[in-house]
Amino acid sequence: MSAFRTRHGASEIAATAILAVLALVVILPLVMPLLFAFKTQLEFSYHPWALPKRLLVINFVEAWKAVRIDQGLANTLIVSLGAIVCTLPPAALAGYVFARYRSRATEIAFYAILVGYFVPAQMVLVPLYKMEVAVRLNNTLYGLFLPMAAFGIPFWMMIYRSFFKSLPGELAEAARIDGAGHSATFFRVMLPLARPATVLALILVFIGAWSDYLLSLILLSDQRLFTMQLRVASFLNAYGTDRMPRYAAAAIISAAPTVILYIVGHRWIIRGTLAGAVKE
Amino acid sequence: MKKRSIFALVALILGILSASSAFAQKVTLTVWGRDIPDDGADHAYIKALISGFQAKYPDIRLEYIALGDPGLMDKTKITMGAGSGLPDIFQTWGGSVMGGYADAGRLLDLTRELKNVPGSAAARAAMTWKGRIYGVAPFFAVAGVFVNEGIFEKYGLSMPKTVEGFGPLCDTLLAKGIQPFACGEKDKWPGLALYMYLTNRYGGDASARAASRKLAYDSPAFVKAAQLYQSWIKKGYFGATPLGEGYGDAQQLMATGKAAMHITGSWMCAQYANPDFTDQKIGFYAFPGLAQGGVGTVSDVMGMTDIGFAATAAAASKKDAVVKFLTYAMSPEACAAEPGRICSVPGVKARNPITAQAAAVFAQAKTVTFWWDQDLPPSVTSPLTDTIQKFFLPDTDVRKDLASFEALCVQNIGPVK
Amino acid sequence: MSAHDIENHGRGGGRKTRARDWKRGAFVFLCVLPAFLFLAVFLYYPIEETFRISTTKSLGLGPEIYIGLENYRRLLASQEFLAGLLHVFTWAFWSVVIQLPLAFAVAFLLSYYSNRFTGPLKSIFYLANVLPSAITAMLGKFVFAPNYGMIASFAKHIGWKWLGGVDFLGDPRLAFWAVFAVATWAYTGFPIIYLMARIEQMPKELREAAELDGASPWRYARSIVLPDLGYPLRILAVLCTVGSLKLFDLPNMMTTGGPGYATETLGIMLYRRGFIDWDYGLAAAIGVVIFLLSLLMTAAELSIGARREKIA
Repeated sequence: MSAFRTRHGASEIAATAILAVLALVVILPLVMPLLFAFKTQLEFSYHPWALPKRLLVINFVEAWKAVRIDQGLANTLIVSLGAIVCTLPPAALAGYVFARYRSRATEIAFYAILVGYFVPAQMVLVPLYKMEVAVRLNNTLYGLFLPMAAFGIPFWMMIYRSFFKSLPGELAEAARIDGAGHSATFFRVMLPLARPATVLALILVFIGAWSDYLLSLILLSDQRLFTMQLRVASFLNAYGTDRMPRYAAAAIISAAPTVILYIVGHRWIIRGTLAGAVKE
Repeated sequence: MKKRSIFALVALILGILSASSAFAQKVTLTVWGRDIPDDGADHAYIKALISGFQAKYPDIRLEYIALGDPGLMDKTKITMGAGSGLPDIFQTWGGSVMGGYADAGRLLDLTRELKNVPGSAAARAAMTWKGRIYGVAPFFAVAGVFVNEGIFEKYGLSMPKTVEGFGPLCDTLLAKGIQPFACGEKDKWPGLALYMYLTNRYGGDASARAASRKLAYDSPAFVKAAQLYQSWIKKGYFGATPLGEGYGDAQQLMATGKAAMHITGSWMCAQYANPDFTDQKIGFYAFPGLAQGGVGTVSDVMGMTDIGFAATAAAASKKDAVVKFLTYAMSPEACAAEPGRICSVPGVKARNPITAQAAAVFAQAKTVTFWWDQDLPPSVTSPLTDTIQKFFLPDTDVRKDLASFEALCVQNIGPVK
Repeated sequence: MSAHDIENHGRGGGRKTRARDWKRGAFVFLCVLPAFLFLAVFLYYPIEETFRISTTKSLGLGPEIYIGLENYRRLLASQEFLAGLLHVFTWAFWSVVIQLPLAFAVAFLLSYYSNRFTGPLKSIFYLANVLPSAITAMLGKFVFAPNYGMIASFAKHIGWKWLGGVDFLGDPRLAFWAVFAVATWAYTGFPIIYLMARIEQMPKELREAAELDGASPWRYARSIVLPDLGYPLRILAVLCTVGSLKLFDLPNMMTTGGPGYATETLGIMLYRRGFIDWDYGLAAAIGVVIFLLSLLMTAAELSIGARREKIA
């Protein structure tokens, strides 16, 4: 093993060890379904925690067939992308203004938008559904990602506000001296500097829309519009934890896209967040 | 100019398309169900129903959507609440839940069309509300005692003929290190079946009288039943950690021979007969009556719809197609595919010995009481299951808890007259 | 901080200032408009409806009868509601006290000691949050289930029989903490990467200066990094608090709010009253309570720190 050169000696080794243990605690439960999914039901009932005797794939095959990825994928993508397009710009614009244009009016507006976050989803399902039916928005994909955006905007507005708030004022002044107006300052100077927020939002809004269940269940009635998550959830509910191996296989299939997405995207997060360093 | 001609062209095409669709007059029925019509063992009936119906009536297009549980119930409730976006047919368990929809005018009255469909009286009663029939119940579930025959044979035990007989039986099982009853009370509802039986054995039709407010829920029958239940729990008949055990866990205990009995509904027959699920030999028995001082007997059975369908007002213009579907759902050819549930259609044979036992219990029933959590007004349903779960908590005064439940009923349904 | 005052510009009179004010006002208005529109269309009507229904008796599909504040009176008398209220506040308190320091420690250590090993670790901490809550609940059940759960099986394996018999999910005293532990596992990931993003934004010169001064990493964290994270930490506190008030998924799927009412939350009670009992009036009242409590606590949390900031 090559020398683990540290700048800080013992404290760095200790910290690394602690972090590694914590990371293990996070990962361990995620490995559980792998232990279950390859077993037969009977094998699972008797020995849930033993290593599988043989690596059976029948559970995965059945789960895959039930999930109908071909139909759900396009719908899910449309919903996820729609959610991003409808959530990020309003949240970024509002967050920017609330961070850098403080006044009594904007404080009130801030709270007026923030209240959207205080609403538990179950509470508004019935009125939301009734409203969508009234304007014929129900049973459409945009009727799904538009309310998703409404739910997400308050949260991301707060996050964007915190990022914009931390940017030094001299930048804005410099831009003004250069003759930039309000929108130019925003688009060309401030927004790029808040890239970490944008990267976080892109990935998390996408994942959130991808794994949404409740809104999709209530607002969609046409099977051809069903998202992947909806099908997976029906599959999971149909078998429940009474048939753990099959449930575990379906859980892995349902979580895999988001996990893969996250693993692919995380490099971007790291790079995105590191790029936020301010030029002096 | 160019825009206008394009507009006209589009309008023309749309017009032709809609006219042609008016000619291809295919009726579409939207059906909301719980289970996915795939190769899962307990989904065989749904699969046979969908494909069989399509084959028999090619001019009716079936759009079956599997919503799972609780997806089916949540979505149904919301669309019923809004009154639009309703399916044509939906899976329901009848009782007061279906009754709520019927009272609000959301369902299709099919009394005339369905009253002569052959089926058991109990099944028809479950899908009837205030004298009108709204659907069919091809499969009916009854609660009984699943028994691990292997364990019983090994220790020379037999199914008790009286409620009191459970005492010595369970003590013996405990001494041998076996959990007498598997239950699953962590999920709050599984313990209801036993309580329903005990109150019936002590008080006959006490629950029906209490629901129609002729009796209080803290009257002697309910209290005595609760006290017996609590004494069983305290003696350890439900294991050392009854509240940490969910319904799935209970099944696992039965499947691996760690528990000897499971008092639950006959929907479990298929699983307990499935060699992929359990290698234990399991049988189904009726719940016995009290040796002395009892009112209810072994022929008083608790049960309700296992699979049922009803039609909504949205299908008013497709009544014909709807009736065809519901009748087909009650046909022997569709029902024959079901591996485990008790069929309420005459002439369908049980596919495994456990179901045959359950069907025999159902056949000998003189009265059938519907599940309380499907038959009481919804506003007292979860308080009821909460109260029963409290029997499992240490230091519960069952009399006091039943009294508060009665007070809640007075508030929500009305006082005892 | 006078940074934003630069955009505010002076309020002196004069044509040029008024033109600037008008342009500024228009910009502010246009920026807030899209967000406002989304909320107005999709959330304001449902919110208003909920307030309205909470003052009615609305059972199932029956008629709505105005009954004023009767639903709220019923809530205050309900043991279930009081248990739920207590639990969400307890949950909020412990979330903030445990998750935020933990997240800060992890985020700080990850960025301070950035080496070959900690680099890859950065991505792992968020993975738990990526799972849908149904699966998290299922995993949680399997860790804590008595007799054959992960902890119980492990305990039996190493001979600690007492641990194997502990009923994490069925004992009213422990159930809350079992669900809380699972939630901490799942939800700490976002605070970690959020704080990491903010920490990485800080200029490297500050850290180099601290090291030159011989400051220990602990000192650096406490005196330089932490104060800079005032606002982000307050936002996280708001997220924890409001999230706790709305809490539903995990306790419902792991223990159904039980045993008894040991893991009952306002969110569970709302779902039960609204979707199972069909008592929409009462459910709406619970929704209003959640809403108002969230508003109150958020306003409190955001202003406490801000006042301190102004003084500093």
